[in-house]
Amino acid sequence: MSRWIKVIAAAFTSLTGLSCLVILAMVVIILGDIVIHGAPGVSWEFLSSAPKAGMTEGGIFPAIFGTVALVILMTIAVVPLGVAAAIYLQEYASQDSKLVHLVRLALQNLAGVPAIVFGLFGLGLFVEFAGGSIDALFFGGKLTFGQPCIFWAALTLAVLTLPTVVVATEESLRAVPRSYREAAYALGATRWQVVRYVVLPQSISGILTGTILAISRGAGEVAPIMFTGAAYFLPHLPTKLNDQFMELGYHVYVMATQSPDVEKTKPVLYSTVFVLLAVTFLLNFAAVLIRSRIRRRLRST
Amino acid sequence: MTPIVQFRKFSVWYGDAPALQEISLDVQSHEILGIIGPAGGGKTSLLRSLNRMNDFDPRFRCDGVLQFQGVDLYRQPVDVAVLRRKMGMVFAVPIPLPGSILENLELGPRLDGRSERLDDRIETCLKAAYLWDEVKDRLNLAAQSLSGGQQQRLCLARSLMLQPDVLLLDEPCSGLDPISTAKIEEALQILKKDLTVILVTNNVMQASRVADRTAFFLQGKLIEVGQTQQIFVNPKETLTHEYISGRFG
Repeated sequence: MSRWIKVIAAAFTSLTGLSCLVILAMVVIILGDIVIHGAPGVSWEFLSSAPKAGMTEGGIFPAIFGTVALVILMTIAVVPLGVAAAIYLQEYASQDSKLVHLVRLALQNLAGVPAIVFGLFGLGLFVEFAGGSIDALFFGGKLTFGQPCIFWAALTLAVLTLPTVVVATEESLRAVPRSYREAAYALGATRWQVVRYVVLPQSISGILTGTILAISRGAGEVAPIMFTGAAYFLPHLPTKLNDQFMELGYHVYVMATQSPDVEKTKPVLYSTVFVLLAVTFLLNFAAVLIRSRIRRRLRST
Repeated sequence: MTPIVQFRKFSVWYGDAPALQEISLDVQSHEILGIIGPAGGGKTSLLRSLNRMNDFDPRFRCDGVLQFQGVDLYRQPVDVAVLRRKMGMVFAVPIPLPGSILENLELGPRLDGRSERLDDRIETCLKAAYLWDEVKDRLNLAAQSLSGGQQQRLCLARSLMLQPDVLLLDEPCSGLDPISTAKIEEALQILKKDLTVILVTNNVMQASRVADRTAFFLQGKLIEVGQTQQIFVNPKETLTHEYISGRFG
């Protein structure tokens, strides 16, 4: 009997350990494959020039530029909206009000919607409805904002990442002890002052963590931008909000599926995936740096 | 002289549970009123009704009259932020806010929209709270790195920065060592020249040492109030006698 118990215990230990090894192996294989095949093709020319010869030669600069611009625009859109909503839910609304339950339910559902649905939703609501209305009202019906462009793509991604930001912000607001709020109220603070001087400084690093998660998610999504602004190939970089743009993830998708000569584009494809990972990592890293600087500044005062 | 605070048949409920029942009590200016009684007697409810910290509890309900400086706090329009500046509050647990000692002290006046330097007031308040000598060279130190006793004196000083008329103390020495307790008690004796103190305490001896008058609360009712000496030497009510002699509570 006791031997069986030992055998089962050992088997269970190996099984759980093996599961971890499988995860590790997956990461190593994926990253290793990308680095081995992708890294050699990455040169300054690759990073700084536009695609040539049906994407089998040249570089991917426009896609890098488009990705970074897209993510920055998305962040500008999603962070204020998400943080403001979380502050309302957590600090202002009565916790058992119907509205709060409804908004939380909506956010949970939003988080479960497939990315491609966001793409179609962006096309319908932003590009056709909002853009079309803007054109009709301000541009005399001339096609200006009523077309896929970086602005609408960024907003679509913002809707996609909104639940991430709201949930992370709510978590960090909830982590601020109630006693801090009471102490501030007892000193004559208004609700707004409690939020501004006590709650937000305490939760800023959690809010930025949410931002980082949103950036990671947003930078890698292709489906939401396919119909809302990403382009196959463009001779110019986007300079206005209503320009279309190239994007790394979409570029990968295009090269892998639409290229006339898939074998020939393979090295470029690998290098592009490598750069996509690197750019996502760098955007994350930048956000982490900003967060730790703010943390340090809060601690030093 | 008209009392600074007047309770007249003042009752408080949280949901259906009564916390205070028809309290009638006057607090005179420049006195220290000690409030004693076992847990659940309504002591904290009384304090939190005064500076309207109960507003945050949706189950809170009250009846009767509670006047402060002639204003009925629950029937006349009251700016709660102004009210709370006139009634400094120190909680049972020290709550230093994140940030330096200086920032903690300046927070109250800053919230009131004052931006000038307040060095004199800071020194006065820290001295009044018997903390000045311990922190005068390190005002930029994080408030949370002070010891518990120092933190509570900082909280007292932070309340004094508001230049309040009344000080509400909710068991301010419950977690403190005897030396810090003695310092706070000394501070109160001097402070009462400038303001009125309502001191809730679980420590009966503290009331006997510090309070001018003492009120005994039991299960939401005011059993007895009188000069501290009378309450301790010659209480009118048997319950009071039993409580202060340690027979229950």
